[in-house]
Amino acid sequence: MISCIDYIYVYSELFKYLEERGGYEKVVELWDGIREEFLANLREYVARDGLKGMYAYWSHTLGEEGGRHRMTLYDDMFVIDMHDCPSAKKVFREGRIEPYPKYCEHCPVLYPPLLREFGYDVEYHIIDCESGQCRLVVRKPEGAATPDARQAPP
Amino acid sequence: MANVHKDFHGALSFGIQFLDEQYGMAGLEEFFTRAAKAVYAQLIKNLRERGLEALKEHWDTVFGLEDGDFETRYEDGVLVLDVRTCPAVHHMRANNYRVADHFCEHTRIVNEAICAGAGYACSVEYDQEAGRCVQRFWRAGA
Repeated sequence: MISCIDYIYVYSELFKYLEERGGYEKVVELWDGIREEFLANLREYVARDGLKGMYAYWSHTLGEEGGRHRMTLYDDMFVIDMHDCPSAKKVFREGRIEPYPKYCEHCPVLYPPLLREFGYDVEYHIIDCESGQCRLVVRKPEGAATPDARQAPP
Repeated sequence: MANVHKDFHGALSFGIQFLDEQYGMAGLEEFFTRAAKAVYAQLIKNLRERGLEALKEHWDTVFGLEDGDFETRYEDGVLVLDVRTCPAVHHMRANNYRVADHFCEHTRIVNEAICAGAGYACSVEYDQEAGRCVQRFWRAGA
């Protein structure tokens, strides 16, 4: 069994392998598949609780993964400011593996398209991949029928 | 203390299924052999230099962190890892993640790559449905 504590190294190695065999398109195909099939739990959180669901989902996952970040929840906006991504640290700064240079590109492929399905405007900024800094900004457009709006009392 | 995020087992399982569907068992074999040599280079070195005790420490650490029901023991110079409840399979089933058709094969391939790089040999008997396996490790040629 590959332990979950070693998973990130294997993930990076998998991206390299797929790119060698099928080009970058094959790597993106994997990420699309993860978004559509593996992230069902994120979909459930967002469908049920909207922006609050995002906060709950990432509180759980980022809490377990470690790293240093700030999450901010407004009535109409959710923001993750990642200051020190635990995965990027393993891939780029531990020296255990030869990093996949485009490692950080998986997050913008995984998350914004999924969140947009619910009516949100989403920006993903990779600020500095190797130092593990990025920002996810999710906005609820005024008048949009997001899950948050459905929660509002009549 | 390492951070333990068990959902990564589900993500690994997705990757295994993807590889299997794209490139078949040969792809799984090639990828995990290569990945094991890179990811576990230090473990291979430790096994070569310190013997089976290095591998026992590795298994005790990771299965302990993951709260697995397991035992490591020696039988006539063979290191036995008896996994009664696999943390990965158990977590995936509990959280409705798909367990890849050949999920447990990655254990065999990774173990063989680690052992081959250090002058050791190994075997694994697994029951993927039940989430159990018995892994054995010994010095090659012994």
